[in-house]
Amino acid sequence: MSGDLRPVADRTIDAAGVPEPTARGRAAVPPLSDDTQLAVAIRGLVERGEMDEARERFADLVTQHQRRASRIAYQYLRDAGDADEAVQDAFVKVFSHITSYREAWPFEVWFTRILINGCLDRRKAQLRRDRWMAGAEVSSADEARVSAANPGNDPEHRLLARERRSRIASAIDRLDGRQRTVFMLSHYGDCSPREISVMTGLKESTVRVHLFRAVRKLRGLLGAKS
Amino acid sequence: MKALESLSRHLQDERLLDAYLAARQGERLDPPVAEHLADCGACRVRYEELAQFMDLVRQEGETEADDIFTPERLRRQQMQIARRIEHVGRAARVISFPGRFVRRTMTASATPSAPRWVAAAAAAGLFIGAALGASYGWGVRGGYAVAGDRRMMPVATRGTTPGEVAADDAFLSELELALEHPHTRELRAFDALTPHVREIRDSQ
Repeated sequence: MSGDLRPVADRTIDAAGVPEPTARGRAAVPPLSDDTQLAVAIRGLVERGEMDEARERFADLVTQHQRRASRIAYQYLRDAGDADEAVQDAFVKVFSHITSYREAWPFEVWFTRILINGCLDRRKAQLRRDRWMAGAEVSSADEARVSAANPGNDPEHRLLARERRSRIASAIDRLDGRQRTVFMLSHYGDCSPREISVMTGLKESTVRVHLFRAVRKLRGLLGAKS
Repeated sequence: MKALESLSRHLQDERLLDAYLAARQGERLDPPVAEHLADCGACRVRYEELAQFMDLVRQEGETEADDIFTPERLRRQQMQIARRIEHVGRAARVISFPGRFVRRTMTASATPSAPRWVAAAAAAGLFIGAALGASYGWGVRGGYAVAGDRRMMPVATRGTTPGEVAADDAFLSELELALEHPHTRELRAFDALTPHVREIRDSQ
């Protein structure tokens, strides 16, 4: 699949599919953020066998990253159920492999990389499934949820918003795989080109090129002025 | 000189995008770019259009996802995650399947599978049942005789002509002969329970 952005040369994955830090990743170490410190503390608790305490503190980590993770996963998969499961899987994988986490990477980068890998796997499965079954871009259940979340909006407004979102989603879907991943990480994951470089194993200059091409293509597809 | 150069040329799209990303991350803009944007109205308009487009795409995506992933749904998701990680780090339990059956099977050769009194009770129950059944059968046979008496009488008296009555008698006699000594062993039990015409006749 062209959408697969498994970093090419310098990306290493352990047996469980959890990425290990690369040399480039270690080079780009920002000061420890709050979530990174929390992840390090949880790792210590797990190593000492204090699992209950570790689980309790892990809930804080989940709370911090849950919304952002759900946004990214949903934009990738365009299916609420799949996105929900992808987020859950990513957190469970993080907890299961927390002892392999090294603070050389900000926790956000490590976690996002695990999430993206899971989303890519699910996207592949989706594409395989869609070859055999006619799928909708947004399921009716999701649509109902969106309508229920905006009871004040009039139907016309909802219809226009839905159409606009559908056009944006379809335009993003038409991006080349790497462009799409870079764009999503930058745009919905709030990641800087440097962080995306660490996550994907691409050079920062390459990330910028992909991002620029993605934006140019999107503006062309969505009819914005270039 | 450099400042003049920056003013004479418009910014490329790549530089505008870099400027947008830097501004979004809260980083400082590249000074020449910032200077150019401050002085060049055309580039400023292009920058604002780019920023507007990017913000719109971002806002639409986030709003859409946030409408689906409501606080309630996120809470459920968190509970699911907590449930799933509950067993992480604990030793796996080995569950034999089916545990009790396997143990019993393994010890079946050493000890009888059921106590002896169960077999004795079953045999006694069977015997008592058979005895009761037999006595009930005899009782029923007597009842049948009476009932049969009532039933047979109208048949005997119902005949409209003597010829028809004689034909019925002949038919019943043939049946009597045929069933007197049934050749099929399975029918003997039924035979014993069935009232015979001759018995009725003899009782009269």
